[in-house]
Amino acid sequence: MHLTSSFRLLPALALGLLLLPGCYSRKDIKEEAGTETPPEVPPTEVPGAVAPKESTAAEVAPAAAGSGPLAQVNVFLEVSGSMEGFMPKTGADASNTRFQQHVAQFLSEVNRSSAARKTYFRIKEKPYRDSYQQLSQTVRSGIQQPASSTNIPTVLDTLVSGYYAPNTVNVLISDFIYSPKNAGAIPYISTDVTDALNRTQRQDLAVSVYGYSSDFRGTYYPALNASVKKITGCCDTDIPYYFWVIGPADAVRRFDAALLEKQPAQQAHFGVGYPTPASSLLSRFQNVGSWYYGEKDASKRAAGASYHTVAVSKVSAKEPVEFVVGLDLKTLPGLYRDVKYLKPNLQLQAQDTDAKITDVFAANDQTKNSSGAENQYTHFVKVRVTKLGKAARPLQLTLNNQRPAWIGQWTTKNDSNINQAGAKTFALSSLLDGVEAVTSGEQNKAPIFTIPLTLQPAD
Amino acid sequence: MKGFFRFIYELIGSPQPPSETPVYREVIFPNVGLLTIGLSLAMVLIFYYLINRAMGVATFNKVRHWVTFLVANAILAFIIGIWQTNSQEVASHSYIYWMSTWNAILGLVWFFLFSVILKRGSTNASTTPF
Repeated sequence: MHLTSSFRLLPALALGLLLLPGCYSRKDIKEEAGTETPPEVPPTEVPGAVAPKESTAAEVAPAAAGSGPLAQVNVFLEVSGSMEGFMPKTGADASNTRFQQHVAQFLSEVNRSSAARKTYFRIKEKPYRDSYQQLSQTVRSGIQQPASSTNIPTVLDTLVSGYYAPNTVNVLISDFIYSPKNAGAIPYISTDVTDALNRTQRQDLAVSVYGYSSDFRGTYYPALNASVKKITGCCDTDIPYYFWVIGPADAVRRFDAALLEKQPAQQAHFGVGYPTPASSLLSRFQNVGSWYYGEKDASKRAAGASYHTVAVSKVSAKEPVEFVVGLDLKTLPGLYRDVKYLKPNLQLQAQDTDAKITDVFAANDQTKNSSGAENQYTHFVKVRVTKLGKAARPLQLTLNNQRPAWIGQWTTKNDSNINQAGAKTFALSSLLDGVEAVTSGEQNKAPIFTIPLTLQPAD
Repeated sequence: MKGFFRFIYELIGSPQPPSETPVYREVIFPNVGLLTIGLSLAMVLIFYYLINRAMGVATFNKVRHWVTFLVANAILAFIIGIWQTNSQEVASHSYIYWMSTWNAILGLVWFFLFSVILKRGSTNASTTPF
């Protein structure tokens, strides 16, 4: 009797047991132990309408060229008379200039690099093929037969028409003192450069400019030579010299990253596209106010996941919302990782909201060693909101392509008194105007990257 | 389902800190809700059908015995709240204790409701608590 009645209870007990285990769980807690490297989640969902033209070109190029070593690196060293002061013949005290030290080291690095073919040239009126040893010897012990003068547009024309090839970069080392034939030609410097680079109409032409300065012991030939033909025994001041890396955008980007990012230098990049850096909102890092990730699967907190939707449940002038976007900029060149560049050039485009950037800062030991998601990012952008629209609105974080300030500071209109002018180059900004005209096309300058975010009221 | 549990658990206000809202809404509320309902049902079944019917215990059917089960159920419901929030690794906040307390109160309600529905099937305690 007792037995049969207790059997009748079984279905009810079974139902209770079925309800007991929770049906919902989060992936990360179970998987945390197994996954060590978060799956790379490149934010490829950049809306097509806003994707910068250059970056799409750069994303196509690696597929074609591959990401292996470059096919060829050509190094061109200008050996006109104006370069002699950088490479003085070794004196009794065996002292050298910083140019000699740096360029010899750079040539050695190129020679050791993974590029399949490396070739070296001296540039006189045209390029002359050298071996690595010969060119390195020229740098160390001085120019044997200096060329009378070289004309920058001609050199650029030669490089672009004769040495431009897929997966290949051309590095031109020169002081880039362009001396027009007469004063009337000065306003046309940028046009001359544009025409030279544009003659072969390379679609993906990119130029990276790295500026350095060195002590200079020799004769200085000013570009403006109406009053002073040359300054002997120059100079009391340092003289700038430059590496111009010229080639297809993808090859230039990879060469820069491999060989030129290690040493401090002034940089400017024209037409080089970069993949959109990894980014995510950080809901547990310096967050203020009532907001959370608006993504549907935010509760899973999958390892390495990134979030780009801010759901705001309550916001007002008294209770502002602040959120931080983490950016991983380690694939960008040093110029764009510099907080001094990022602060004025990072911008938010938004509608129906007063969202604005309140701070930009780089990772420090605390964020790097944190157990939170902030340890994956090199830079942080803090955004403050006090009002927002009635529905979801796009919010775009863009890094503008702005010409860095050093170019203006390193430019002089008159180098005939170079000791007073300091470490400046004649008409540098005009030369770069000419480069920019070729690489940026007719439209406005494309941003370095655009990160799409969404700002929405919580449901 | 999720909407129902979100409704009853947000009667006391939104989850805190706000950044944990998705985890609470998608994972913790449904888990805690289902576990608490299951617990309350199990406690009612044990009281009315196991002790007061299958085992035929004749001395455990007074109101004070029912209240003992009611309180034990509430304490277990509180523990479920703490346990589930900890296992989901949410940011610590006093809200965790507030939510668990609310869950204990909900546990009382579930236990009472199941008692009213299921007490008739018991042989010894069909009139407990009333």
